[in-house]
Amino acid sequence: MTVRFGGLTAVHDLDLDVPDRGIFALVGPNGAGKTTLINALSRVCRQVEGSIRLDGVDVLSLAPHQAVRAGIARSFQRAELFPTLTVLENLLVGLHSAMRTGLSGALMTPAARAEEKAARQRAERVLRELDLWELRGAAPGDLPYGHQKLLDVARALVSAPKLLLLDEPFAGLTDAETPRLLDCISAAGKRCAVLMIEHHCELLEGVAERMTVIDFGRKVAEGAPAAMRDDPEVVRCYLGTGRERATAEAAC
Amino acid sequence: MPQRAALVLVALCALLPLALQTIGERQVYWLFVVSEFFVFAIVAVSLDLLMGRTGQISLGHAGFVALGAYSAAILNQRFGLDLLAGMVVGGVLAGVASLVLGFPATRLRGHYLGIVTLGFGIAVDQIALKWDSLTGGDQGIHLHRPMLLGLDVGTPVRMYYVALIALVVTALLVYCLGQTRIGRAFAAIKDSEIAAAAMGVPVARTKVLAFICSAFLAGAAGAIYAFLAGFVAPENFGIESSLLFFAMVVVGGMGSIGGAIGGAVVVDAVKNAAATVSGLSLAILGGMIVLVVLFFPGGLKALLQRRRRAAAPVSGLDGVARQDA
Amino acid sequence: MTQYLLQIALAGLAQGSLFALTALGLVMIYNASSVVNFAHGAMGMAATYVAYVLIEEVGVPFPLAFAAALAAAFVLGVVVQTLFLARLRNAPLMSQVVVTLGLFMLIQGLVGLAFGYNPRRMTESISLAPVILGGLVLRPQDVLELALLVVLGIALAAFFAATKIGLGMRAITENRYAARLMGIPVGRLLAAAWGAGVMLSAVVAVLAAPTTSVTPNMMDTIVVYGFVAAILGGFGSMWGALVGGLLLGIVVNMIDAFVAPELAMSIVFGLLILVLYVKPDGLLGRATVQKV
Repeated sequence: MTVRFGGLTAVHDLDLDVPDRGIFALVGPNGAGKTTLINALSRVCRQVEGSIRLDGVDVLSLAPHQAVRAGIARSFQRAELFPTLTVLENLLVGLHSAMRTGLSGALMTPAARAEEKAARQRAERVLRELDLWELRGAAPGDLPYGHQKLLDVARALVSAPKLLLLDEPFAGLTDAETPRLLDCISAAGKRCAVLMIEHHCELLEGVAERMTVIDFGRKVAEGAPAAMRDDPEVVRCYLGTGRERATAEAAC
Repeated sequence: MPQRAALVLVALCALLPLALQTIGERQVYWLFVVSEFFVFAIVAVSLDLLMGRTGQISLGHAGFVALGAYSAAILNQRFGLDLLAGMVVGGVLAGVASLVLGFPATRLRGHYLGIVTLGFGIAVDQIALKWDSLTGGDQGIHLHRPMLLGLDVGTPVRMYYVALIALVVTALLVYCLGQTRIGRAFAAIKDSEIAAAAMGVPVARTKVLAFICSAFLAGAAGAIYAFLAGFVAPENFGIESSLLFFAMVVVGGMGSIGGAIGGAVVVDAVKNAAATVSGLSLAILGGMIVLVVLFFPGGLKALLQRRRRAAAPVSGLDGVARQDA
Repeated sequence: MTQYLLQIALAGLAQGSLFALTALGLVMIYNASSVVNFAHGAMGMAATYVAYVLIEEVGVPFPLAFAAALAAAFVLGVVVQTLFLARLRNAPLMSQVVVTLGLFMLIQGLVGLAFGYNPRRMTESISLAPVILGGLVLRPQDVLELALLVVLGIALAAFFAATKIGLGMRAITENRYAARLMGIPVGRLLAAAWGAGVMLSAVVAVLAAPTTSVTPNMMDTIVVYGFVAAILGGFGSMWGALVGGLLLGIVVNMIDAFVAPELAMSIVFGLLILVLYVKPDGLLGRATVQKV
């Protein structure tokens, strides 16, 4: 897959190449343009110049809700779950593009019921893999934050995307909650491409096979995380991360 | 609302006419009052689908009811259209008219939509009054005796059952919708449009769909009302009616079918009880709305749920009660 | 023909002043607290009843009664904001809409209970004869409305630009959190904004009273047009509200004269939907972006 940007004020002529599978980290100080990149890829951000291609499809021609069908799914910095719906139903919304039942659902036609059953089985499988199955009937608002972020990622995974975009998935998690999400993301990386924004550079070493550092919307360094440790730009990222984390923790 | 309780209530409603026979002549009045309540409950459920479930403010819902009522009345007066056909025509007309609101709704922020829907309700009212060649103006339209697929349903008892069955069917349809793809999409839009779109929900189109469904049900209810009352006139469908429906949804608890129906019970009771003193029902309902928003945000439904939860404490996240019917 | 058109335009400007003043009050409240006050008209109406009672039953002279009505309006605005809206600061938008609607019903219901729905006459505030100027009939009432609009408009503009309170209110609009951090008394300014906004509504209601009579729903039509005017102006800009109101006044009077008065509101809303379809933020509004 080739991903190329240009002309966005937040992202300047960024050239990014992401293979079919694996975990790729996007790192940089706040305001570097990382979330903008994800917003552009998931079509939340509409004013993008340049070209983004995924398996031959021009991503920029898609409307936000068409991104999923093209194989792009994402999580959010603040989980953005649907509190009115249960955990299982949150996942089922992720299958909206994969399903076709319209108003016939109100009539509970055999076709509608069959599709619903298949969708539920698919969603429950994902929940089981992530050990969330017992919570399927719970309200997302009642879950601890770590579970909410896991659910956010699960919701993106249920549509079996080709490209999974994660916006700071580990932000706000305790040390106890982190391993579960880490396992989930590692497993996902074997099935699809995962583009992950993250500040916690230490986590990336064990998980990401490649790390791209961006600052002020420009690519500044790229390579395997272990090899990048001595790169001055990455050092700035570590230091920056430390200071940001301290400030973030102080503000909470 | 747990299925068993709902079944019991429906059974009670089905038996009510028999019980009312004991009060002789007065039963006609009460049959009408309860039948009218059934119709209002259908409108409340339709409005809850739009406001409570999908998060779209609508302050002119009586406009859709009026469209359904008038189309049924006009076609019945001129061509003898029967009740079922009237419901379908009324619903379809209201549904199509809702596109007028649906498309702007996709682009407008919350309070703009409120004002625009307010205007819609006022506009329907004004046009009904002015276009007297079609609508009879303030004289209104009288309907013929209601027929349903060849059967005469012109008696109070028969219309009662028609209204009751319509309400039950409506509740079932909306409930089933809520359990499937589109119903989930509605809720997703209300909770987070951006996340919904990211999950593949075509937000604009789905909002319009919500309007169409809601308007269809309200229009069909309007048609039933026309046959029930035997008469339509603009004064039944003005802004006061829209505010009543609004109150029903708010007081009952938004996002819940049982809540909408419960709210309809309370509001209709207040309206009928305070009908003779001008301003009283408005003041009471206004006060209720304010109290609900400030102190009981989930409305009646949440109040009852809290009491049920207190009576039977629940352990573990598995048993967390959530909004269903 | 031009004579006729000018006459309509004049009447339109006069009526438009009422719409503009209403819209100004709505926008002021919205700018400060991000709430659309659906009870705006009802609150102004309630204040007018204060004036009515004072004039007709206590025999107080008009200027004093008017001042009392304004004071009552201010108090009402402050009370509503501190008692009701303040609690809903973090509630979703829908709750705020709902509560002001509930207040509208409550206030109108209470006034109806207390005074009944029969129209009451309040003696004209200005009882001078109309003046003929260049073939056009000028009613003193109309002139007063226009003049008040101009005066109040300039006063408000100066207020927000120059005085400490005004600047404070603008700060709250921009960033309430930062304003609070800088020591600006947000609560008090919010209350003041509501008080002032409702005062404007009272001014409109008293001015309109001779035409509409004093009834619980006297402001219903005017406040709806006030909403429309505010939306046309972008619901954030005071100048937009002013221009929107005057424009709307002329449009409404044109419809009254050339189509049918009973359809005026329907046509206005039809036009509004068209305008909003092309410019979802109003004719003069600025687009707002949502951050993810």
